[in-house]
Amino acid sequence: MKLFWKTGEPYVLATGAALAIILVMSLTLIGTVMTNGLGYFWPRALVKFELKDGSSALGQIMQQEKNPLSGEKRLQLKVGNRDIFGQDFRWIDEKEITTRSLPADAVLLERREHGNYFGMLKDVTAEGITITAATPYDKLQQARKLVAGKIDDTSKIKKQMSDLNHAAEGLRLKLQKLDYGGAEKNAAAIAELTAAREKKMAEFTRLNEQATATLAEIGKITAQMTDAAGGSKDISLTEIIALQRPNSMSFFAKSVAYLERVRELLLDDPRESNTEGGLFPAIFGTVMMVLLMSVFSLPFGVIAAIYLREYAKDGLMTRMVRIAVNNLAGVPSIVYGVFGLGFFVYGIGGSIDSLFFPERLPTPTFGTGGILWSSLTLALLTVPVVIVATEESLASIPKGIREGSLALGATKFQTLTKILLPMATPGIMTGLILSMARAAGEVAPLMIVGVVKLAPTLPFDTNFPFFHMDRKFMHLGFHIYDVGFQSPNVEAAKPMVYVTTMLLLAIVVIASSTAIYLRNRMRSKYTTSTF
Amino acid sequence: MKNFTDKSRRNDRLAEVIIRIGGVFVIVSVVWILVMISQVALPLFYPPTAKIAATVKLPATISSGTVLAVGSEENQQGAFILDGSGTFHFFKVTDGYLSASVKTPTIPVGAVRVASAEYIGKSAYNLLWDNGAITSVAIALASAKAKDGTVTLTHDISAKEDIAFAATGGIVQSFARPIEGKGVVRIDRLSGDRLRVTHQLVEKDLLGTEKRSTTSADLTDPLPGRLSVVTVDSKGHYLYGGTDTGMLLRWDISEPGKINLLESTPASENHKAITSLALVLGDVSVAVGDADGALTTWFPIKVAGSGDDRRLTRIHTLRANVGTTAFIIASPRDKTLYSGGAGTIHVDHMTSERNLLTIKPSAPVTHAALSPKGNTLAVLDRAGMFTVWKMDIPHPEISCGTLFGKVWYEGYDKPEYAWQSSAANDDFEPKMSLVPLVFGTIKATLFAMLFAIPLALLAALYTSQFMSPKLKGRVKPVVEIMAAIPSVVIGFLAGLWLAPLIDKSILTIFLSIVIVPLVLMLTIFFWKRIKTASPLQRASRGLEFIAMIPVVILGIYLAFLLSGVAEVTLFAGDFKQWLFSTLGIRYDQRNSIIIAIALGFAVIPIIFTIAEDAISNVPRNLTAASLALGASRWQTAWRVVLPSALPGVFSAVMIGFGRAIGETMIVLMATGNTPILSWSLFNGLRSLSANIAVEIPEAPLNSSLYRVLFLSAVLLFIFTFIINTGAEALRQRFRKKYGRY
Repeated sequence: MKLFWKTGEPYVLATGAALAIILVMSLTLIGTVMTNGLGYFWPRALVKFELKDGSSALGQIMQQEKNPLSGEKRLQLKVGNRDIFGQDFRWIDEKEITTRSLPADAVLLERREHGNYFGMLKDVTAEGITITAATPYDKLQQARKLVAGKIDDTSKIKKQMSDLNHAAEGLRLKLQKLDYGGAEKNAAAIAELTAAREKKMAEFTRLNEQATATLAEIGKITAQMTDAAGGSKDISLTEIIALQRPNSMSFFAKSVAYLERVRELLLDDPRESNTEGGLFPAIFGTVMMVLLMSVFSLPFGVIAAIYLREYAKDGLMTRMVRIAVNNLAGVPSIVYGVFGLGFFVYGIGGSIDSLFFPERLPTPTFGTGGILWSSLTLALLTVPVVIVATEESLASIPKGIREGSLALGATKFQTLTKILLPMATPGIMTGLILSMARAAGEVAPLMIVGVVKLAPTLPFDTNFPFFHMDRKFMHLGFHIYDVGFQSPNVEAAKPMVYVTTMLLLAIVVIASSTAIYLRNRMRSKYTTSTF
Repeated sequence: MKNFTDKSRRNDRLAEVIIRIGGVFVIVSVVWILVMISQVALPLFYPPTAKIAATVKLPATISSGTVLAVGSEENQQGAFILDGSGTFHFFKVTDGYLSASVKTPTIPVGAVRVASAEYIGKSAYNLLWDNGAITSVAIALASAKAKDGTVTLTHDISAKEDIAFAATGGIVQSFARPIEGKGVVRIDRLSGDRLRVTHQLVEKDLLGTEKRSTTSADLTDPLPGRLSVVTVDSKGHYLYGGTDTGMLLRWDISEPGKINLLESTPASENHKAITSLALVLGDVSVAVGDADGALTTWFPIKVAGSGDDRRLTRIHTLRANVGTTAFIIASPRDKTLYSGGAGTIHVDHMTSERNLLTIKPSAPVTHAALSPKGNTLAVLDRAGMFTVWKMDIPHPEISCGTLFGKVWYEGYDKPEYAWQSSAANDDFEPKMSLVPLVFGTIKATLFAMLFAIPLALLAALYTSQFMSPKLKGRVKPVVEIMAAIPSVVIGFLAGLWLAPLIDKSILTIFLSIVIVPLVLMLTIFFWKRIKTASPLQRASRGLEFIAMIPVVILGIYLAFLLSGVAEVTLFAGDFKQWLFSTLGIRYDQRNSIIIAIALGFAVIPIIFTIAEDAISNVPRNLTAASLALGASRWQTAWRVVLPSALPGVFSAVMIGFGRAIGETMIVLMATGNTPILSWSLFNGLRSLSANIAVEIPEAPLNSSLYRVLFLSAVLLFIFTFIINTGAEALRQRFRKKYGRY
């Protein structure tokens, strides 16, 4: 026994336990995100409860726990129908329940507003269309199919309207500029532009009326619903985004519904103050910001690394640069945000505004947060990652290769571009991917320099000049913070946050795994050196 | 061929230049970041300035003897003087050109001369006429500069709504204050040290007919001396008086028909006569000047023995004037006070007790006034010279004292460290002490490091020394990927998943600290039973941690089970309630335990990776020699490897520390962001970084708050700069020692 303690085997076990704790924590984190995130889209059964007080409730069981007051078991039920019941969720004590059933015809309606509606479908008022189907559910399906074309038309009109709006706004800014330059001098041009703008506006109004008329026509077709409490409600088809009868869906049908929801998540716009719908603008904003950032950080990072490794003599200067780079990597990200705000947004952005867009002041154009400033700020933040990775991969190339190239008469630059850089490419890629992963997950500085909870337009579209560097954008990481902590109905928003988290985590983990894989492969090629 | 070589050489030289520039650019940008953020923060500490914008002899048409009040506008171009006939004279201060002389619009019947004028704020004056009537008049003066440099003045005089009602009988001084929506209160100081308070209340009945009722009260209390100076707050609730025996008096006059003496306190030890009184912006503090030149500010606080009553107490002692403190002017924008003695005007900030400026007019001052925005001081001296000073005091409330020391704010019972940057009302004074934030940062970092260091270092030791190399190749990347998990994800889980979970069973955490090691001991005990040379032991070498995973989970589960029992038996079923009732500790759902776990989790991979590298880089021959001499693998790791790798391990800890200090999202999401000074595990905190993230979107450009936030960014930068440079130096030394990277 004494020997056992003396040799220190217990301590080895203790260190092993430390590692075990770390791994358990990581797995818990991933597991929690996965179970909460993946399960969200699976159509859950709509359970009907008859309660002792004679009332009934219809909803999806979210969780079970002990009632903290009475110690009884209770269920959390998502009852939906926020516009009628006021709340999405309610707790039901198990002892209150007399019967529970799964009515096959219980319908879940996804609506444009007020969240989901759970209830029974009574009938469909089909005004202006002929419906041949027999059961109410089939009737509703058929009606939806019949008006689908019209809804498509209205969304096309909406697209035209937004283009017109954009054109009119462009004209307005031009007018403002001419006005600023001197209203009398440019009178002719102003008159011409005003006329053009009014024409656009008239066209816009006409289209708007057309769209409203079509929607009003569809709006007359309603689904007559009754909810568990006995109330009835007519819901117009324009309100309904999707419907399902989860209790009578087969596994296959549920899978199809699941995939449909995933598609919606990836490609649609958010609804209901970001707590429902898709994440497309956030995904797009994140990707575009990261790409833009790479455009800035890659060249500078690589050049700085080449300077350090190939050109600088190992002296005081080089040591200072190294320390500077290390410090850049260690400076808190929020400090970069503060710097970005003071230097990019108010400094450079403010100057651009007063030089090029004085007519729009005090409304800022570049003098406020935007995707350009965000990318530049993050480029500064991630440049050390690129530098370190590039330097490391340059260092790991054996000296003989350099000397061989130089001995054959190549210049230093030729050696660099033809021999060293191609060999170092995996390392540089590693750095780039790591920096992209970091940028994708960074939120604090972005909150200061340009991220918003809901951006009306994407930073890239079909209107000239296509890239709108001054626009604000949405970001997955900020989406998590905003929906999870700033939204008025946190409980209802939670599933969405988990899904967003899962997506962000997946992006970051895949990117870093690739980077680490690349690095390890390269390392085994040349051996030595560390992270 | 030659052409090609030349071209290559040229390219080579060009590339070298570009690359060198790029390299230098990186250093410059690091330095630039620091310079730039400091540049924004530094103006906080610039000394304030006052410049004479113009000085001019009074226009000949105005006799300086009859001047009642002076005033100026914001651009230091125009000024005005009110004389005894009730006429406002507007003139340019650059050349004394008189642009207009306008009589006040309303002159009461029977009044001839204005006896005195009181500035009541927002460019308005109450004029007391010789027949005892009071009228109120508002002045608007503005200047515009044309392109050719000529300045034009525009002015406007409007009678404010009638607050006048007549009074008679030896009036020395009068005040009139509107009572919001209810009428007017008039306070008269009569000859022979008498005071009279008259309320005229207007009531409207349902039909809209007005009913006026007048209630009057005379001061009957004996006074502790002769009244030397009297003032009233802007709402007409409190009346302040000073006597020639140095007593400071306060009356409550809010109730019609009553003058209620609240207190009478000596304002100074040597009982010097009080010569001036003024209410500081917000009407809470009263500034007192005496014949000795002292300047003090007072506000009511709870005093021991006085129960719930609040008593006027001397809070701030500002820099004394030379001679008597003849007048005190309170700034309309902040808590700055201008006080004048013989030959000097002091500018002091009350809360920060900072002497901002001392202005020396050429002759004794007879009248002085601030412009409505408080940036222009107009002074008329005995020699008849009119001077306009441009005051540039951008951040009067900020000093090293207010940022890092205890400050006695209005409404507080004692000096405190406080951070509260904004509130709903206008006259709110921002409280910007960085101490609670620095404290919060340190608290979060320390707790997180307490959690992270043991786990990360032990795990690193295990991974590099005991784990089978094949598994090491798998486990290390996993931990490295952990380092890439965005902090917003950790913060979200900590705030919305872990916090409610721990809230339900807080005892599990404490019991785990005891029970997990206990279970571990038990396991070790059984482990020992298995013979060292047995196949199981041999096979498990380097894989022990896998066996430990279920042990850890079991331990936590046991702790969870026991916590339910413990809560019922020891803490009457509710630990949080017990905590509050027995120890008086409030429990926040998002508390420091959550922070320790979440922030610790975020820095573990960083410490782990760097420490593991450092330990692995200790040359193999050292380990081999130790093992060959018969040391066990633990002895080798503990006595040989770890001491050699210590600098590297230490640098790992420092880098982790640096990360934890600056981490924003986790602290933002997992704490309640309450800036409090408490070491309690069960309270939240607010860190410097989270504070920046919360406040900077709301901070107006170049405001004090904006600059203070930049200052905290500078602090963070410097903190991390020192830590990172230290860590880097250690690492370099470590590398040199073993000659490899």
